[in-house]
Amino acid sequence: MRSLLSLFSLLAFLFAAAVSALSTSGNRLLVILDDVAEKESYSKFLGDLESRGFQLSFESPKSESLALFHLGERRYDHVVFFPTKTKGLGPNLTPNILVDFMNANGNVLVTLTSGTAAPNSLVSLLTELEIQLPADRTNLVVDHFHYDAASAADTHDVLLLPPPTSVRPDIKNYFGAGAGKDDVLAFPRGVGAALGASELLTPILRAPRTAYSYNPKEQAEVVDDVFAAGEQLSLVSAFQARNSARLTLVGAAEMLQDKWFDVEVTKAGANKAAKTFNREFAKRVSGWTFNEIGVLRVNWIEHHLNEAGGNNESNPTIYRIKNDVKYTISLSEYVWTTWSLFTVPANDALQLEFSMLSPFHRLALTPSAAYTSAGESESGYSATFKLPDQHGIFNFKINYKRPFVSNVEEKNTVSVRHMAHDEWPRSFVISGAWPWITGVGVTVAGWLGFCALWMYSAPVGGKRAGSKKTQ
Amino acid sequence: MSADPLQVLASAGKGESTRGLLRVIILLLIAAAAIASRLFSVIRFESIIHEFDPWFNFRATKYLVANGFYNFWDWFDDRTWHPLGRVTGGTLYPGLMVTSGIIYHALRALTIPVDIRNICVLLAPACSGLTAVATYLLTNEMTPSPSAGLLAALFMGIAPGYISRSVAGSYDNEAIAIFLLVFTFYLWIKALKQGSMLWGALCALFYGYMVASWGGYAFITCLLPLHAFVLICMGRYSTRLYVSYTTWYALGTLASMQIPFVGFLPVKTSEHMPALGIFGFLQLLAFLDYVRAAMPSRQFQTFLWMFAGGTFGLSLLGLVLATSAGVIAPWGGRFYSLWDTSYAKIHIPIIASVSEHQPTAWPAFFFDLNMLIWLFPVGVYLCFQELADEHVFIVVYAVFGSYFAGVMVRLMLTLTPVVCVAAAIAVSTLLDTYLRAKLPKPEEIQAAEASEGKKGAKSGLKSTSKPVVGVYAIWGKSMMVSALAVYLLIFVLHCTWVTSNAYSSPSVVLASRLPDGSQHIIDDYREAYQWLRQNTREDAKIMSWWDYGYQIGGMADRPTLVDNNTWNNTHIATVGKAMSSSEEVSYPIMRQHEVDYVLVVFGGLLGYSGDDINKFLWMVRIAEGIWPEEISERSFFTPRGEYRVDGEATEAMKNSLMYKMSYYNYNNLFPPGKAMDRMRNSLLPEVGPTLSTLDEAFTSENWIIRIYKVKDLDNLGRDHTSAAAFDRGHKKAKKASKKRGPRRLRVD
Repeated sequence: MRSLLSLFSLLAFLFAAAVSALSTSGNRLLVILDDVAEKESYSKFLGDLESRGFQLSFESPKSESLALFHLGERRYDHVVFFPTKTKGLGPNLTPNILVDFMNANGNVLVTLTSGTAAPNSLVSLLTELEIQLPADRTNLVVDHFHYDAASAADTHDVLLLPPPTSVRPDIKNYFGAGAGKDDVLAFPRGVGAALGASELLTPILRAPRTAYSYNPKEQAEVVDDVFAAGEQLSLVSAFQARNSARLTLVGAAEMLQDKWFDVEVTKAGANKAAKTFNREFAKRVSGWTFNEIGVLRVNWIEHHLNEAGGNNESNPTIYRIKNDVKYTISLSEYVWTTWSLFTVPANDALQLEFSMLSPFHRLALTPSAAYTSAGESESGYSATFKLPDQHGIFNFKINYKRPFVSNVEEKNTVSVRHMAHDEWPRSFVISGAWPWITGVGVTVAGWLGFCALWMYSAPVGGKRAGSKKTQ
Repeated sequence: MSADPLQVLASAGKGESTRGLLRVIILLLIAAAAIASRLFSVIRFESIIHEFDPWFNFRATKYLVANGFYNFWDWFDDRTWHPLGRVTGGTLYPGLMVTSGIIYHALRALTIPVDIRNICVLLAPACSGLTAVATYLLTNEMTPSPSAGLLAALFMGIAPGYISRSVAGSYDNEAIAIFLLVFTFYLWIKALKQGSMLWGALCALFYGYMVASWGGYAFITCLLPLHAFVLICMGRYSTRLYVSYTTWYALGTLASMQIPFVGFLPVKTSEHMPALGIFGFLQLLAFLDYVRAAMPSRQFQTFLWMFAGGTFGLSLLGLVLATSAGVIAPWGGRFYSLWDTSYAKIHIPIIASVSEHQPTAWPAFFFDLNMLIWLFPVGVYLCFQELADEHVFIVVYAVFGSYFAGVMVRLMLTLTPVVCVAAAIAVSTLLDTYLRAKLPKPEEIQAAEASEGKKGAKSGLKSTSKPVVGVYAIWGKSMMVSALAVYLLIFVLHCTWVTSNAYSSPSVVLASRLPDGSQHIIDDYREAYQWLRQNTREDAKIMSWWDYGYQIGGMADRPTLVDNNTWNNTHIATVGKAMSSSEEVSYPIMRQHEVDYVLVVFGGLLGYSGDDINKFLWMVRIAEGIWPEEISERSFFTPRGEYRVDGEATEAMKNSLMYKMSYYNYNNLFPPGKAMDRMRNSLLPEVGPTLSTLDEAFTSENWIIRIYKVKDLDNLGRDHTSAAAFDRGHKKAKKASKKRGPRRLRVD
C-alpha cells in the first residue's frame, strides 16, 4: 500500500516535471565532448534533442567543474559521450561514478568511432555490463557486400543496413517500425561490440551476416584473429539495468553527424541513390535511451474479495484460504509526449503470480475494458482466481521484464489466513454428521427416559441398596 | 520460622478457632515469602520479561488484550515463520494468556489501571503463592499432622526447583501450570478419598485448565491412571475409585478436547491411551464387581477375574496393533527421549539442541532441592508405613517424578511438589515425635527417661510406630529439634542464595562485575532490538537462529523466519543451511524467503558463551538431517577432529555464512595479526573474511549482536562477488574472453 502511494506521488512529481521536459525522467542532458566546437558537426542531432525539450550542457572531460553528482544527488538526468581523444576521462568520470550514476537512474548514451580509442573508463563500464569492445582502437567493421558505393567504394567501411526489425516476435519494434522499404541506415566507420550472455543486454542493430571486424593497420593478408563476425557483432546495443536505467552504445558516432543525416547513399550493386534513415533512427535511439519511449508506468494496483456478500474493501491485507479474489493492474506506456494505453504484444502475456516461496498460481492477465479509461491512457489488466488452500504470507507478483520496455516488478503482500472457528459449515449441514447427531440425541433421550423410569418405579425390596457395598 | 508456630500453638490455647486463625496467618505469610523471594530480578534489574518463550507469551497476551478473545482464538500470526505464518490461536496453550487477560480486565473494571506488562511479570510470583496454599491442602490429605501441610507449603514456596521457573518476569506456561498441577492432584485425592462426583468434577475442571495452560498436562493424564492401576493391582478397587476416576476422565477429556491445540489428541495418541485404557478397565471391573455381588460363586469369580485379565490383555494387544497400523499416533519424539536419553541426539537434533532437554546432572538435585532431596525418601518411606490410597499416590508420583527429573533437566519442576510434600511429612513426623512427648502415659515416660535420649534420636523414625522408645529427655529433644531448626535455616539461606544468584537473571540483560566490584549491565540485546525497531521497515524480515525468534518478535516487533516454537523442522533446517553454507548457496535461500536482515550473536569480544558459533554445530546437524548430501558435519571439523575457528579452521567453516558474519571486520579492532577470539581463546587469521552478498548494518556496543542487511540483486546484472570486487576497484581483465577458450555465442 505504502509503496503504491509513494509510487503515485513519484509519478505525480514526474508528471509535473514532464510538462517542461518530454522525457519521463528529467531533461538535464550532459554532453561530453573533447572540444565544444565539435558540437557543430552534431548540430542536427543536438537540435532535435533540444527541440524535444532537453536542456543541453556541454563539458569537456578535462573540465574541473564536471561532476555528475552534487551533494549525493544527480546533477544530470542523462549523459551523452561523444568520442574523445583522451585515453582517460579524468577523476570525475571513473567507472564507479558511472555505475553510481546508473544506479541512481541516470541514462547514458555512448558513441564510439573507429580510429579513436574508447576511454578506459567507458571500456571498464562496458565490460561490467558484459559488452566487449575490440582491443585495438583502429578496429573497424567492414562488409564487402553491404557498403555504400558512393563514399566507401574501396574501403567498404560504410555499411548500409536495413532498419532493424524486432529481435523477438513478442517485442514491439521501437527502432525500425514505419520505415519504408527503401530506407537504409548508414553505419560509417564504426566499431562493433560483442555482447555477453547478460539478460539485460539487447542488440538494437546487428551487423549483417557478411560483416566482420578487423584491424586495417595489420598488414596481414588474412585476418586470422577475428574479434567477432556476422550477427554476433552488435553495432548498436541497448542495456537496461534492473532499475530501468538505460545505456545505449552506438558503434559509429558519425552516424549521428549532420552529414550522414542528409547524404545520399548508394547500395553496393544498386544504381539508385537513397536518403538515409539515420535521422529518424537517431531520434528513436536517443528517445529510447532518455526515457521518451518504451517507458511503462503502473498507475495503480487493486485487489479485492470477489465473493457475493463479501467485504468490498480495496487492497485488504488479509484474505482467507479459498477466497475468490480479483486482481487488477493499470498500466500506461509513454510515447514521446504522452502517456497512452499499454497493449501487450500479440505473442506475449502479462502474468500474475500468486506465490509463497514458489508460485501457487501463474495466470495471464486479460485486458479489462472496465478499467480502461481516464482519457484512454490507462489500460487495466485483471484476473480472478481462487486462493490456494494453504495459509501463509503470499505475494501478488507482476514480473514483466522485456527488452526495450522498462521493468515492471510489483509485489503486493497479503496474508492468507486459515478458517476461523466459526467459518466452518455447521454440523447439521454436513450429511455425514447426521448419524452422530442422531446418536447424541438417542443417548440423551435414553438417559432421560432411564432416569424417569428409575424415579417413578418403586423399589422392589429394601435390600437393593445394601447389596452394592460388597467389595 | 516453621518451628515457631508449633511452639506458639503448644503454649497458646488449644481452641480450634485460634489454631485456624494462626494457620491462615502462617499460610498468608508463607505465600508472601514465596512472592517476595521471587522479586530479586525486578529489584535488581527492572520489570522486564525474561528469556525467550516468555516473550512470545507476552506478545500473545498483548494481542489478546488488544483484540479480544475471539480474534485471539482465530489468530493467524503473519509475523513469524515467514512466509508460512503460524496458526497461533490453534497451536498454543491459551491458559496463561487468558489468565492474564482476565486479571487485566478485572483490575480495569475495578478502575485499577495496571500495565499488562506488570501483570505478566508478576503473574508467576502470584501463582507461586497459590501453589504454596495448594501444597498445604494436598499435604493435609496425606497426614493428620497440621504442621506437615504448613511445612510443605513453606518448602514449595521457596524451593529453588520451582523458583527456577517462576521468578518475576518468567512469564511462562509453567508459571501457572505448577499451581494447577498441585491443585488438580489435591482435588483428585479429595475425590478419591470421598468417592465424590463433585470433587471429581472439580478435578476435571482444573485438569481442563491445566490442559489449557501447559503441554505438561500429559503428566497428570498418565499419573492418575497409573495411580488407579496400581490401586487395582493392589486389590483396592472400590466404588470411590470408580466414581472419581470415571468422573474425572469423562469430564476432563471433554474439557481437554476444547483446546484447539489438543483437539482429538486424547483419543488418538499413545500418551493418552493409558487413561482411556484404565477407563475401560474400570468399567469392566465395575461390571464384574456387580456380577460378583449378584452371584456369590467362588469359581465363577475366578472365572470372571480371568475374563477381566484376558480383556485387559486383549485391549492392550489391540492398542499395540492399532498403533502399528497407524490408527493411533505413536509416541512423539520428546517421549522417546524420555526413555532413551540419547534418542534425540541421534534422531531429532532439534530437541537435543535445547539445553533444558538434557539429562540432569547429579549436583542439580542438591542445587535445586538442597536438604529436601535426602528428606524425600524418608517421606516416601513414611507413606509406605500407612499406605492408604492417597499414600500410594505419593509413592507412584515419587517414583515417576524422580525418573523423569533424572532424564530431563526441565522436569525437575514436576518432581519438586512431591519432594516438598514427602519432605514435609518427614520433618513434621520428626518434629511431632520429639515435641509431643506428653502423649504416652506416665509410666511409659518413666521407662523412657531411664533409657538414653541419644539412642532415641538415632532411631527417631521408628519411634513413630513405636512411641515407647525413650526419646523424652529434654536435652535429646532439644538437640534433635535444634538440629532440624538449623537445617531448616540453612535451607532458607540456600534457597535465597540460589534464587538470587542463579535464577534471577533475565538473560536479556547480562550482568557482570567490574574490577572494583560494581555491577555492570551489558545491554546489547535490547540495544540491537531497539535498533531494528527504529531503523528497519515494519515488515523487514529478520533471519536469525531460532533461539532469538521470540525476542525479535517481542522486542523488535519484526517478522522472523523461525522462532522458539520449533514446529517446523524443515524451515529451521533451511535457516541452518543458509547459515552453514557459503554465500553463493545462502543468497538464493535468503532471496526466496525475502530476508532483509540477518542477525547473529557473537561472543568473541566479550567471552560470552551463548553465542552462535557455539551453537553452530546444531545448525549444521539440523541442516544435515534434511540435506545430508549438501551439508556435512564432518567438514566443519579439522582432520584431527577439532572444532576450530582460527587459521586452521576447515574450508567449510571459513566459507560458511555464520563464520563470515561473526568475524567480519573483527580484525580491525586489533593490531595486525593479534585478532583474538576471547570465547574460544584462539588467534584469528590475519586476513578477515569478506562478504559480498551482505552489508554490515549494525554491531552492538560489545559486539554481541551483529546485524547484516541482505543486498538486493545487482542493478547491472552482475554476480555479487564481481560487483563487490568492482566496488573495491578491481577491474575485470579486458581480454578475459580470449583466454577462456571458445566464446559463448549469443542467441537471441
